[in-house]
Parts: sequence; structure tokens; C-alpha cells
Amino acid sequence: MNSVSPSAAQYVGGVMQDELVESRRQQPPERQNSFGLRLPQTPDTSREATREPDEMDRLKAKMMSAWNNVKYGWTVKSKTSFNKISPVTILGHSYLLNSEDEVERFRLAFVSRIWLTYRRDFPQLEGSTWTTDCGWGCMLRSGQMLLAQGLLVHLMPRDWAWPDAQQLTDVDFEVFRPRSPARAGGVPIPSFGSPRGSNTPEKSLSSSQASRCGQKKWPESVKDRQAEPIHHKLVTWFGDQPLAPFGVHQLVEIGKGSGKKAGDWYGPCIVAHILRKAVAKTSVVQNLAVYVAQDCTVYREDVVRLCDLSLSQTVPDPSSQAWKSVIILVPVRLGGEALNPSYIECVKNILKLDCCIGIIGGKPKHSLYFIGFQDEQLLYLDPHYCQPMIDVTQVNFSLESFHCSSPKKMPFNRMDPSCTIGFYAKNKKDFESLCSAVSMALSSSKEKYPVFTFVEGQSQDYGLEGHSSNHSGPAAHILPPGKLGRSNNRSNSDEFVFL
Amino acid sequence: MPPFDKSQPTNKRFKQRKSFATRRQEVAGIRSKFPNKVPVIIERYEREKFLPPLDKTKFLVPHELTMTQFVTVIRNRMALLPSQAFYLLINNSGLPSMSLTMAQVYKDHQDEDGFLYMTYASQEMFGR
Repeated sequence: MNSVSPSAAQYVGGVMQDELVESRRQQPPERQNSFGLRLPQTPDTSREATREPDEMDRLKAKMMSAWNNVKYGWTVKSKTSFNKISPVTILGHSYLLNSEDEVERFRLAFVSRIWLTYRRDFPQLEGSTWTTDCGWGCMLRSGQMLLAQGLLVHLMPRDWAWPDAQQLTDVDFEVFRPRSPARAGGVPIPSFGSPRGSNTPEKSLSSSQASRCGQKKWPESVKDRQAEPIHHKLVTWFGDQPLAPFGVHQLVEIGKGSGKKAGDWYGPCIVAHILRKAVAKTSVVQNLAVYVAQDCTVYREDVVRLCDLSLSQTVPDPSSQAWKSVIILVPVRLGGEALNPSYIECVKNILKLDCCIGIIGGKPKHSLYFIGFQDEQLLYLDPHYCQPMIDVTQVNFSLESFHCSSPKKMPFNRMDPSCTIGFYAKNKKDFESLCSAVSMALSSSKEKYPVFTFVEGQSQDYGLEGHSSNHSGPAAHILPPGKLGRSNNRSNSDEFVFL
Repeated sequence: MPPFDKSQPTNKRFKQRKSFATRRQEVAGIRSKFPNKVPVIIERYEREKFLPPLDKTKFLVPHELTMTQFVTVIRNRMALLPSQAFYLLINNSGLPSMSLTMAQVYKDHQDEDGFLYMTYASQEMFGR
């Protein structure tokens, strides 16, 4: 088996060619050539070429363009370029990448996020022959990443960073000059990725000096180091084993209740409900609930009922501790076929919020976990990389494959309109400030109405029951489901339905 | 895909089935008879794969009905579960706020012909 996702072959044949490069970027560093490029490896190439005759030509073209990039001193395409003069935002924090310190903070912020990808050779999923989720489970993986982020905020010290975070790979930091004619490939400006300010970008990809340097710079890393056992524990919950509470096995099992099975494609709304049920079902995470909004509305009273333990306890506990932390998931659809561009500003403002734990969505058919943005591009973690399963029941299993070192970006206008937005509130006070902060961010939309709303009360107060009791008129005309449609014949399908 | 060419006559969008003049006339007629209701066209998003087609496209909705209530009516007609994704998009692009009344939405978004056009869609699936 090579280490490239089986679905990588599809990318080459299909429209998603850039993903091939993304898969390749994960190859061991010794396979880089002297320019720091990651050229496709011969064994993989030949193997796949036998399957896809077209592919050889495409790869050749890719290599030629990579060569041309080198020849003309342009930035290599597979690298992600970050603008040094405009801030990059990751989940409520912004970094201006014009100094080593900021690049270092950005590195820690990005690499510390938990990255969950396709895995292969895991125990068979019950009721199926699947031993991998490659090619179908990406939305579940994005959902896992969103939940993992919620759990990090829930359990780890504030602004925790992984002390062993890898160096960033395949990134360039440059000054974007949009009007300049030389912009064709962007002239790379010396990277700040390396702590010694090396002038050659490829050097910044290698050393581990920066992590040591990071420890010197950031005194709180002692606290972060102490939190490592929790970090390890948290990752085991996402292990690819039937007993892991948030593993693919559990999630697929829970999804069966919504008519899904292993091998199916999932959507951001279904996954939100699967996550809600998974958290409700497990005892490993104490004091956390998940709320999923319906019809783009968060009913505050419903959240309170979910979180306020004094309401459910027989003997009310007057202490303020009797409040569960909550992950609020809001499934939305930000347009018909394509993202309605007037929502871009709003998505940006949401990602700027401290309480935001990211957005699960993607490009059409291709799920991604969005964690930030820079200028007109979203920053994401990509689950489309097939890794062998890691046995998380082993003591001291390696965390390396659960963190990503190469940040990737895509333009906002390629974002699929279907997504689920995630938030986290630790306590009651947090929840209240969340409501006002999010409402503020939502009102920034150029579209006349916000993407979703917070309302007082419970959903049942707003439903039809409430309506029919307040107004005698309209409800009388509402017929039970199924009764209307099929019994009517086509001839009067053009008449008005009176509500 | 079978579901799409099943019912040829309703497959065409309402605007394509009727001329502007006819649509205007319809609105004028119904508005004069029911001044407290707004005429709304609800159609399935063209690429919708999960939600069933609606048997009707034309609705006459009371002014004071909120979007929440209206969505509930449509959800009930389709017998959807609360957890099933269902979105009404105004003019196929924007989400109306659920607390608005139909009169407000109508005022802001009615078409030149006098109808308010909405599309319903679930969410896309991802898997590649």
C-alpha cells in the first residue's frame, strides 16, 4: 500500500487536481528535492499511472510547471502563501505575519489544532465490510475536528499550545502586491519560519529549533506540558476503534438512526446531530452538552434548559457551578447553488470570535474544516489524507499524525453554501456574552437578514401550537402532513393553498 | 435522475410556465379578494436530492404569520423530522430571518410580478 489516499486517484481524474498535491505534501521530508519541492514520487506515480493513463501526462505537466517555477524563481504552487501585511485569523485570534514572534504564534495556533483524517486498516465497521473511511467519511472527520476543538477549549488550559508542535511546512510568507506586474508567481520574501531568520525558504521547513525556541519565548508552555496527558486522552476518544466515544465507529453507528450507513456521504447538519448524540451518550466528557439549532434559530431558553443543571436536579444546587458547558452548532445554507457573496463578511466576523470553534463545510462534495481566513481566503484543515490507523490504546502512541503542519487556503467563493457553524460557551456568563457577540457579528451581513438568530424562549413557544392558540384563524387551514398532497389531483395544483 | 423528469408539467419553474402579464393578473385578483394575505411561490431547489417535491407551489399566507410558523407548515406538509435540514431561500440566495413576519419579508423581497419567490433546499452531502 502506498500512503496516498485511494481517492487521490479520483482527484487526478476529476476536478480536484490540487488535492493530489495536497496529499503528496505529507510525504516524508527526505523525499524533497534540494529546492524544497515535493515532487511526486516515482513508485506512486507508476502505480497510479497504470490505473489512469491520463495521469502520467498530468503529472508531467505538473512537474514541468514546478520546474518552471524553480527556473524562474517563482513560488512553487503547492505551497501556501501568506500575506505578511494583512492579518491571518484563526478562531478568534489574529496574527500579522511580519515578525518571527507572530509567525511563531501562528504556527502554534495552527499546528495545535487537532487534525483528523481518513484512516485505513481499522476494525471493520459493524454491518459493513468497510475498514476505511477513505472516499466517503470526510464530513464525519470534519465534524470530529470541530468537536475536538470544542473539547480542547473545554478541557485544556486557556490558549493552550501543543509544546511538541511541528514546524510549518509548505508555507511562504510574502508581501502581496496585487497591482505589481511581477506578481505572476509572487517573489518570495525571506521566510520567518526559521528562528534564525534564514534567507532560504527551504531551511525554514526543516529544523526543530523553533519549537525549542518557542518554549523559551512562551513561559506558559510549562502549563501546556502538564496538560499533555489530557491532550493524549482527548485524542484517544477519536480513535478508530469501536469503543472510542467519538471515533468513526460510534459516529457511523449513531448515524444509522438518521438513515445513514458506512460508505454514505454525510452532510453538515446530520453530522451536527450525530455529534450531539455522541456527546450525550458518553460518560467520558463530564459537564458538556451539545445544542443543535433548527431552522437557523437558537432558542435561548432551550439552551438554558440543556445547561442549567439546577433545573433538572431534584435538589437544586444553588452554586453557580451547576451549569454545563455547551457546544452550539448551527447548520445553515448560505445560498442556493453557490455561496451568496454577501455572507462572506459575516463568515469572517464569526471566525474572528473567540467563542467560535470553526465551521464544517467544504468545497462542493469535498468536506473541509474551516478555522480561519486571510484576506479573501479561508484557512482550513483537510481530512482528505489517508493515514494508517493508529492504535490509540497503546500507551504513548504518537500524536504526530493528529496534527497538521501545512496550513492550506481556498477562496471564499468556492465555499459550499451548506455548512455548520460551531461555538462554545464554558458557563452561563460565557453563553450570554456569546449571544451578544455572535448577534453582533451576524448583523454585519450585507444581506438584509442575519444568517441565523438568537431568540428568547423555547422553540415550542414559536411553533404552530403557540400560533393556533393565539390566533384562531390560520391554523385551522393547516392540514396534517400527507393528507393534502397525494390526494389532490393535478388539475388544481395551480390553485392557491390558503394558510 | 428519475425524480426530476417524473412530472413534466410541474418541472418547469413557475415563472417559465406563466407570462409576466398572467402572473401580475393573478396577484392583482387574489390581492383584491384577500388584502390581508400575501401570495408566495415555493419551489424546490433545482438540484435538491433529498426533500420531496411539494404538491403545491402557490400559497396565500397571512401577513402576521412568522417565518418560523411558515417553515413549520411546509415542514409538516413534507412530514420532515425536526433534525432534517430544511431551508427556505429568498430568490434562491438569501436566508430570511425566522422571526420576521411574512408581511415584512414580502415588503422587502416581492418580485415585480407581485409574488414572493422562495426556494426550499436541504444541505449538500460531502464525501470525496
